[in-house]
Amino acid sequence: MQKKAIKNIAAIVLLLVVAYNSVYFKKLDEVKAAAVSKEFDAVTYASNYLTVKLTPQLSNAIELQELIQKVHAEPESTFQKYSHALGIGNIKYFLVKGEGVITAIGDDAVSLLLKNDSAQKEIKIATEFVFGNAVRDASGLININEFNNTMDFNNVSAEINKIIRSEVLPPFKSRVKKGDLVQFAGAIELNQAHVSLEEIEVVPVGLKIVKQ
Amino acid sequence: MQALAKSTPESNMKKYGSSLAKFQSLIALVILCLTISLLSDKFFTVDNAWNVMRQISVNICIATGMTLVVLTAGIDLSVGSVLALAGAITAGLLRNGIEIPAGNLYIGFTLLGAVVAGLLTGALLGAFNGWTITRFKVPPFVATLAVLTIARGFTMLWTKGFPISSLGENFAFLGTGWFLGIPLPVWISGIIVIAAVVVTNKTRFGRYVYAIGGNENAAKLSGININRIKIAVYTIAGGLAAIGGIIVTSRLDSAQPNAGITYELDAIAAVVIGGTSLSGGRGSIMGTVLGAIIIGVLNNGLVLLNVSPFWQQVVKGFVILLAVMIDKANSKND
Repeated sequence: MQKKAIKNIAAIVLLLVVAYNSVYFKKLDEVKAAAVSKEFDAVTYASNYLTVKLTPQLSNAIELQELIQKVHAEPESTFQKYSHALGIGNIKYFLVKGEGVITAIGDDAVSLLLKNDSAQKEIKIATEFVFGNAVRDASGLININEFNNTMDFNNVSAEINKIIRSEVLPPFKSRVKKGDLVQFAGAIELNQAHVSLEEIEVVPVGLKIVKQ
Repeated sequence: MQALAKSTPESNMKKYGSSLAKFQSLIALVILCLTISLLSDKFFTVDNAWNVMRQISVNICIATGMTLVVLTAGIDLSVGSVLALAGAITAGLLRNGIEIPAGNLYIGFTLLGAVVAGLLTGALLGAFNGWTITRFKVPPFVATLAVLTIARGFTMLWTKGFPISSLGENFAFLGTGWFLGIPLPVWISGIIVIAAVVVTNKTRFGRYVYAIGGNENAAKLSGININRIKIAVYTIAGGLAAIGGIIVTSRLDSAQPNAGITYELDAIAAVVIGGTSLSGGRGSIMGTVLGAIIIGVLNNGLVLLNVSPFWQQVVKGFVILLAVMIDKANSKND
């Protein structure tokens, strides 16, 4: 009987200790106010990234036709030197630049023949559907560990793409014509396990019509 | 003299056969490891071994509970959903707490509080399984199938269909941390296995579990409170699924609403491959651990060999079928 009582008292004490160390109470409005001040501003971050971090890097990006040649010749070392990616997947991103003549204008992309390219390589520049993480990840300038959560990190990508859709593409799309000489800079995505250079599509960060 | 006379080549063969049957899982594992290591040089590496151990630790937690259930001739299909709900409750309470606008009150949860809440969730759902099975005589297959749907629905409601992420470094340590050079999930599953081995082999409760599975009527007539034992077994299974859920959530630093889908099948497969009879009363925790390792190694090997995920499912299915067929053949011999 005494043993049972001791057991019960021990169980209750344990329960109380666990309960005491399990929860805490605060005023709801104070918690909400603190949460608002801590909220991550993906719009500002994306805008700063594009203007302050990425744009100065674009001049250092590899020429697309040079990249294509290198991928053909030495795929492994080229991926190692020029690509960036998060995680261990086969999808890698490259920051590229180039110049070429517009050969066709489609609903969601323009086709372009790279200038001074002996292989007469035609590539595409996305002009409608800009999504994914290519621009965010291609530069290797954003570190995922800077972010408190993956949602914030993903929101950065979404905001970057939004800025491209609203600020980079409209002035270009309204003026571009077949035969124009265009300079571009942006990001491309390649699968390292199954490298395909047949349908390269650039997600543009900078577009300039040099000669109409 | 009589004994000597009985030792015929036929009886010796039977004896060897039965010894071989006892170690069939171990033999299968050794053959599997050797085959994969011949085909992939990445298999026999320390990193890969830890990777496999970390991956199977969740299945070991679930499968240990499943073994107890199967030993009573039951089945628990709800463990995958229970895992998801327990993980989501833990993550939700840890990250968001509970808001009570009417009283301008916020109840925050510490790591301990959130983990305890997750464990209680699993145990309660397990107890509910046990209660419906014993009180209303609902077949375990149906009762736990219903809870599978109920728990998944609650997970969707609780998470609103979105992952709950960023749970903090301390919580992440549970699933990704190391202690004395061994990953923490391996420690957790190891402790669970040791406790389960002791419970099944050295306690009255363990003997009752085997007795119920072996012959429920006989167990009842010998005075065992069958309902109580069954409810306890399902509660333990739910609690262990919750531990699995907490480990998964911690490893991913995120509670996914779709977590744990088909985990019950992996757990059942581990139990069956480990030699536990689906008709109850026969099997062991260590057998289940071997079964879980075989499934883990098989998964890992198929990935290392670049086998398509679709084929992986097919291969796993055939391995389970083979294990059940061997089990049936052994039962006949017995």
